[in-house]
Amino acid sequence: MVSKPDISVKFCNLELENPYLLSSAPPTCTGEMIMRAFEAGWAGAVTKTIKPDKTPVYDLKNRFGVMGFENKQMIIFENIEEVSKRPVGTWVNEIKEIKKKFPEKALIGSIMAECKEEDWEELARVVSEAGVDMLELNFGCPHGMPERGMGAFIGQRTELIQKLTKAAKRGSSVPVMVKLTPNVTDIAYTAKAAEEAGADAISAINTVLGLIGINIDTFEPMPTVDGMSTFGGLSGPGVKPIGLRCVAQIAQATNIPVSGIGGITTWKDAVEYLLVGAGSVQVCTAVMWRGYRIISDFVDGLTNYLADKGFSSVRDIIGKSLPKLTAWSKLNKDYTVVANINKDLCIKCGLCYVACLDAGYQAIKFEQGKSAEVDEEKCDACSLCTHLCPVPGCITWKKVAKQVSV
Amino acid sequence: MSGRVHTKTIPPHERISSFAPYVSNLDDRLAVYEASRCLMCFDAPCISACPAGINIPEFIYRIKTGNFYGAAKVIRESNILGGECGYVCPVERLCESKCVRRNLNEEPVAISMLQRFAYEKEKLKGLVKFPKSRPKNKKVAVVGAGPAGLSAAYELARMGYSVTVFDSNPRPGGLLFYGILPWKAPWSVPESEIGLIKEYGINFVTNKKIADLKSLLKDYDAVFVGVGATKSQKLGIPGEDLNGVYPAQEFLYSVAKWLMGEGKAPDLKGKRVAVIGGGDTAIDAACASVRLGAERVYIVYRRSLAEMPAVPYGRNQAREEGVEFLLLTAPVRILGDKRVKAIECVKMELTEPDSSGRRGVRPIKGSEFCLDVDSVIVAIGQKPDEDLLKSYGVKTEKGLIVVDENFSTSIKGIFAGGDAVNGGETVVEAVAEGKKAAAAIDKFLSGGKNPKK
Repeated sequence: MVSKPDISVKFCNLELENPYLLSSAPPTCTGEMIMRAFEAGWAGAVTKTIKPDKTPVYDLKNRFGVMGFENKQMIIFENIEEVSKRPVGTWVNEIKEIKKKFPEKALIGSIMAECKEEDWEELARVVSEAGVDMLELNFGCPHGMPERGMGAFIGQRTELIQKLTKAAKRGSSVPVMVKLTPNVTDIAYTAKAAEEAGADAISAINTVLGLIGINIDTFEPMPTVDGMSTFGGLSGPGVKPIGLRCVAQIAQATNIPVSGIGGITTWKDAVEYLLVGAGSVQVCTAVMWRGYRIISDFVDGLTNYLADKGFSSVRDIIGKSLPKLTAWSKLNKDYTVVANINKDLCIKCGLCYVACLDAGYQAIKFEQGKSAEVDEEKCDACSLCTHLCPVPGCITWKKVAKQVSV
Repeated sequence: MSGRVHTKTIPPHERISSFAPYVSNLDDRLAVYEASRCLMCFDAPCISACPAGINIPEFIYRIKTGNFYGAAKVIRESNILGGECGYVCPVERLCESKCVRRNLNEEPVAISMLQRFAYEKEKLKGLVKFPKSRPKNKKVAVVGAGPAGLSAAYELARMGYSVTVFDSNPRPGGLLFYGILPWKAPWSVPESEIGLIKEYGINFVTNKKIADLKSLLKDYDAVFVGVGATKSQKLGIPGEDLNGVYPAQEFLYSVAKWLMGEGKAPDLKGKRVAVIGGGDTAIDAACASVRLGAERVYIVYRRSLAEMPAVPYGRNQAREEGVEFLLLTAPVRILGDKRVKAIECVKMELTEPDSSGRRGVRPIKGSEFCLDVDSVIVAIGQKPDEDLLKSYGVKTEKGLIVVDENFSTSIKGIFAGGDAVNGGETVVEAVAEGKKAAAAIDKFLSGGKNPKK
């Protein structure tokens, strides 16, 4: 029997029993909640963002929205919730209590202040001295806070990222991680700015600015607060591709660890983030949806995956897919394949036919009651049919000699 | 990939105390979910399997997007009795039998449940009405206000013909009221759809039996005959004339009339009933007997379950409601003095399949036995009213009206369709034939050639 793979990771100074952290969000609202999450098996948690007591914060009544698709209740989640309302003193006490009860778990203090260096420095000092293992600077919240010069307002301006990272570093007695917003033109650029300013790690992504929907009966945008709404932060399964792209870009551009965030719903999503270079991952929306208990499958699924793949440690897969990411111009233009339909698996739905007819190369032949067939001369291997075929493995690639382009 | 919805039903012991529907309809959430199971196949086999040719993937897609009224429009475009068919179609051998989901080892999309859903949504807004062509100054008579006649009348009225429909019953609808009992389709469904048809300006003459078609041709430019198959086939065994033997068609007719407050239903309270036959009508008669208070109800069928023409849905219903199936059993004679006392049956065995693949049966010698019963319902097939067809003077064959590919009978100007021609098919088949016949009548009356098939 293969020995059980090791899923512990070292992320900066943190020794994590597994790569899974709760991100700074509703599931880490209080010390009591964080401790229950630790009991459930989470390796660490980032507190809901702590702000100076002088900065006012409100919790709007009705601050979430969801987008579903067909029979999926939620594929994208939206929130317009602000950071923690709770006083710094309360947090300081709870941080001490958590660390006392769970010294082996990683506790990361998320902080945010207005664009004043002295405020960041002071808050970093107070929270780090309370006993957290690391700080996370919230430069990413895209709703509410930016209107008041905080959150993504900072993450969208490299000079502020640098100035305030340096300020926090001055005040902090522990490593400092910078949490970035994806709502920028080039996240690699802002990540490099943070690295240059002395950030010890990057976490990404914060939520994606969006508008979850409009109620077409009342004409009210959602989530509706007394008939009105505002733009909010998107999370959940639908934002995973954005998060993966950002994490890969940051991993390519910087030499500091990245904590991957964005739509991680299952251990498989986590594996993908690890493969593009995340040294740890953070989860929020999936926990909001089904509770802390999902950690047990996160842990077990990852362990079984590593064993099946023959890895002895999760550290072996971190960044493993990064070398396979390159520029479009470097992709092999001589690679030639055509679609191949397995006649025995084909259920004769004609979906590949109509897709190729209306959005492809008219390369599929189909007659009711018969299996679809590829005209290899016409097939341009765009891959559309392989994705929409309802039968897994029915349409595959077949290598062919390079065709001379017309 | 997810499983098919299963709707709530009233438990058998409760439902048999009434003739009311016992299956609940889909709510919005379940309908949208079930609609999302449709793959939206190209050139979908379900459409080919629908006699009315409803664009099933299109109406289901519209349910999925929340365009419920639009879904109803798609259905009504192809089937003027689309609501009724949503309730009564034997979808297990029509559209749902061809659903491509089955090729994925999944249950078919619940097409009929979605069709009902679209109809119920349509009803809330008012049934979809399409524009009518300008009046054509030509008159067509329709004899029989059953599904075929209603469909033909509707199509012709839409084309601009002046249409009069004659029916011998007090209310138009034919078997929609007098053959289909409300637990299958609430009567409010045909009521609403006949109401819609009336809105196209059709003149209905009820309580009027037409015996002379040729004289009708003096007042009308063409005639469509859709008189259905209202009589039951006879067993042709001794004792069939005893009191307590009911032909299934007449039995269901009298139950329906009784439910409308006219006449009496056969008194089956505490009785033992044998229903002979294995089709959908046999199931209906058996379930009606249960509701009339029969103590034991048997279905006596000469072949095995595999050959049984009744759809599995109905078979399950009968089973659930306590009907006992005596398979591979054929009646030999009905015993009694004046009234039925028993039925003598013989056990049958299956023979090798014939060229059509259907297995035959032969009696097992010496296996005769007697079943004590108080009533026998004969449900081995239906046929048109022989005397009526004779009075029409149209050519018939094996008791059915003979038509050419244009639904034209042997008499010029007289067309026919539905059960009187096909011998007893489905409501949807009758609708389809009425529609095709209407198109042929239009060609005939426009002086054009009848459309070739």
